[in-house]
Amino acid sequence: MAIIGKRLVDQVRATGLKATIAQRLDEGFTRLTSGLTWNDVRGVLRGDPPGKPNNRVKPHTEAFWFHIRPTFYHEAVTTLYPTFRLGFMSALFFAIEIITGIFLMIFYTPSPERAYQNMLDILTNVPFGQLVRDMHRLGAEVMVVVVTLHMWRTFATGSYKAPRQFTWFTGVILLIVTMFLSFSGYLLPWDQLALWAVTIGTSMADAAPVVGPSVNLLLRGAPDIGAGGLLRFYLFHVVLFPLIGVIFMAVHYYKVVRYGISLPPEMEAVGDDSARKVAPDKRVNFMPDILSNELIYAAIAIALLTIASGTFYNAALETHSNPLVTPNHTVAPWYFYWLQGLIKIPHILPVLPEALSKQFDTIVFNLSGITPKILWGIIIGPVIPLLLMVIPYIDPNPSRRYGDRKVALTLGVLFELGILYLSLAGIPTGVPVTRFGFVGGDPASEIAQEFMPDEGVAEVKRVPWDQLPVGTWEIVPPAEAPNAPEFNALLKKIQQDMDHRTETADPNGKKLVDGKANVRIKLIQPDVKEFTLTISFTDDKGQPQQYSKTNYLHKASGYDKE
Amino acid sequence: MIKRILTFQPSWTLRLISGTIAVVAFISMCLLTGAVDLNGAMAERGQEFTGRNIEAGAKVYYEQCARCHGAKGEGADGLGPALSYDGFLGKWDAAKKTLGPSERLKKIGWTSSLAGYVEAVVASGMPVKSSAVWEAPHPPFALAFGGPLREDQVKNVAAFVLNWGPGQVAPVATMPEPGAAGGAAAAVALTANQEKGKQVFLGAAGCQACHAIRGVATGAIGPSLNKLATTADARIKDAAYKGTAKTGAEYIKEAIVNPNVFVVAECPQGACLANVMPSTFGQTLQAADLDALLDYLSTLK
Repeated sequence: MAIIGKRLVDQVRATGLKATIAQRLDEGFTRLTSGLTWNDVRGVLRGDPPGKPNNRVKPHTEAFWFHIRPTFYHEAVTTLYPTFRLGFMSALFFAIEIITGIFLMIFYTPSPERAYQNMLDILTNVPFGQLVRDMHRLGAEVMVVVVTLHMWRTFATGSYKAPRQFTWFTGVILLIVTMFLSFSGYLLPWDQLALWAVTIGTSMADAAPVVGPSVNLLLRGAPDIGAGGLLRFYLFHVVLFPLIGVIFMAVHYYKVVRYGISLPPEMEAVGDDSARKVAPDKRVNFMPDILSNELIYAAIAIALLTIASGTFYNAALETHSNPLVTPNHTVAPWYFYWLQGLIKIPHILPVLPEALSKQFDTIVFNLSGITPKILWGIIIGPVIPLLLMVIPYIDPNPSRRYGDRKVALTLGVLFELGILYLSLAGIPTGVPVTRFGFVGGDPASEIAQEFMPDEGVAEVKRVPWDQLPVGTWEIVPPAEAPNAPEFNALLKKIQQDMDHRTETADPNGKKLVDGKANVRIKLIQPDVKEFTLTISFTDDKGQPQQYSKTNYLHKASGYDKE
Repeated sequence: MIKRILTFQPSWTLRLISGTIAVVAFISMCLLTGAVDLNGAMAERGQEFTGRNIEAGAKVYYEQCARCHGAKGEGADGLGPALSYDGFLGKWDAAKKTLGPSERLKKIGWTSSLAGYVEAVVASGMPVKSSAVWEAPHPPFALAFGGPLREDQVKNVAAFVLNWGPGQVAPVATMPEPGAAGGAAAAVALTANQEKGKQVFLGAAGCQACHAIRGVATGAIGPSLNKLATTADARIKDAAYKGTAKTGAEYIKEAIVNPNVFVVAECPQGACLANVMPSTFGQTLQAADLDALLDYLSTLK
């Protein structure tokens, strides 16, 4: 202290008090910025050209956060094309997920007794709890989109080729981590959506050969998802996958520093890589241009995410999970629809005619013990990710130019179309036109499912409570209830749906025969109504059948806001 | 156009302007959050989920509870007390027009809340015997006590039960005040023939599987037979009655041997349906047994 004090006194004597304070403040500032003085930062913010020697590279060599960013880019990669900023956006959403995730963690306990109540508390008792939850959920889904697009961009511009093969490899791992992060978070709200989407997801692991059942058991912690499974998924979600993600992101980022961002393919000679050999006049320094660009893009992305979460986007919270009741038409998360479509393929060679393809199955099955489920299990499990990972090592074509890569690009587009087709097949309505993947019960239960699904909000719940008139109302032809336009519209819609199902058979060849229906509404409590839809019809054997489904509707439950 | 988009790069002016806007927007949003009625919004959302929990409770109620407590919570004689009438556990304070403290709970020595009591009864059965009337103990419903319901379902169904406003339905089976005389179990001394009839009711005829008699049987398919003799006398005077019986005793006999002549509306699970009660008792019961049974049933006044 005495020495510093003495030096300070000497400095004040030599230069005066004001200059000393300015100098000392600037010194502290320089320590914080790892080498930039106040004037340097001011220059960065004003967009001044860097001086010589360029002081602004110091943070890249001195400080951690800037050492994982290159000091300059080629000017050709700083426009929207070729990167579309997708890599940066992926990292940004990862950061947003971590920050919103920590906020949610504070209010969450991974136990079946507490988790759902915690969710209700977050939505109803935590300031901005719903906003942050919506941001976390929406951000996760956007992140899956952004990361996938990032991979497609890299594939399209051939940027995975030498020397960036390993960057691509780590990128595939990061894609898988992103999907698993999103998927493992699905279970945590502990509602019906969570439990059954994850049950379906983990049962896909079951299809993997040899290790499938063990993997499934390890994931779930028991034959069915319960307290053990919830805790495991929580730990995957908040520890394991983020850790793997951070590790591989570090490698991924380091590779970008090492090799730079590849130039647009048409700008380089075939086989050349000039991202790090940039002529001084083509260089765009990270500071100030890239940094300020990224700040603006980040601000726009965060603003859009916040506005979307605060307005139209509402993360669903269904009823408390119930292992005894499977909601009709349960699906995996949308980014796994294609997997669900894949395991619906009934034969090893589905393109052959039915009889031939069955014979082929029998022959293959007898010879090798392979079944379609195991075959798709192999493809789902190791093959697709491995194939993606080795693309750069097996691609024999040195050229990155679009014109030279017709085969690769065609295969890529076909792969994408295949995924799209399988995704459509994964949802209960199946693919339009071919109707592959269609899942449906008898028409009566499908009508009920359409208007009053087991979980989630559909038209019945959207009718304002006051417009549900007590009484029994025929649907064929639709009754007219007084002062209830929305209810009357609902009856008409149900009738139209019944007409449609009477005229056209579903892909299983089933039609609604002799369909009659009514809606019965009872007031069971001053603010609770019982809504029962009863559909009578004639079944395949000519027997009269009846199907009815009941919803209980509380005056204040506010479904119309969703 | 496409080329312009692809080669887009924000100029310094654009960056400065949008950066300034971002900073200003962020600061003003922070300031604006003070103006947002956050508590109001959260309270509204809270009401929505309270409503949804009551809906979930209603589902549980009609699966598990309506059998004994009635579709409208009106109770069923010999099975379960009414839940929706004003005096249920003393919950409705008529003077204050609000859910008041329960005198009954005080009398039976329950010091916690009414909601806590209802949850406890649903979960673990009757923790404190609150009335001498109901011989059948309340079964435990929580998973923890061997029942079928999770903790959240217990809470939801309790919320549904307590959501019944006062004066909604006329109670069928109310709960007397603690200490008050009640219960028909020990009322009448039976003759030997009537005792035989009671054994027929419980054994050979199998009536107890579907019908309830306070203190004797708890069947919940057909109508309760408490006060059957009284009900029968009233029934034959009913304008809707289509049978041939002239006296209450004849009515009871007709209802046993030819049950589809007149189907009443008061079954525990809603209106009674024709053909549910077997119409073969006239053939399967011996004459002496039928006589003894009728003799026994005539004591239920």
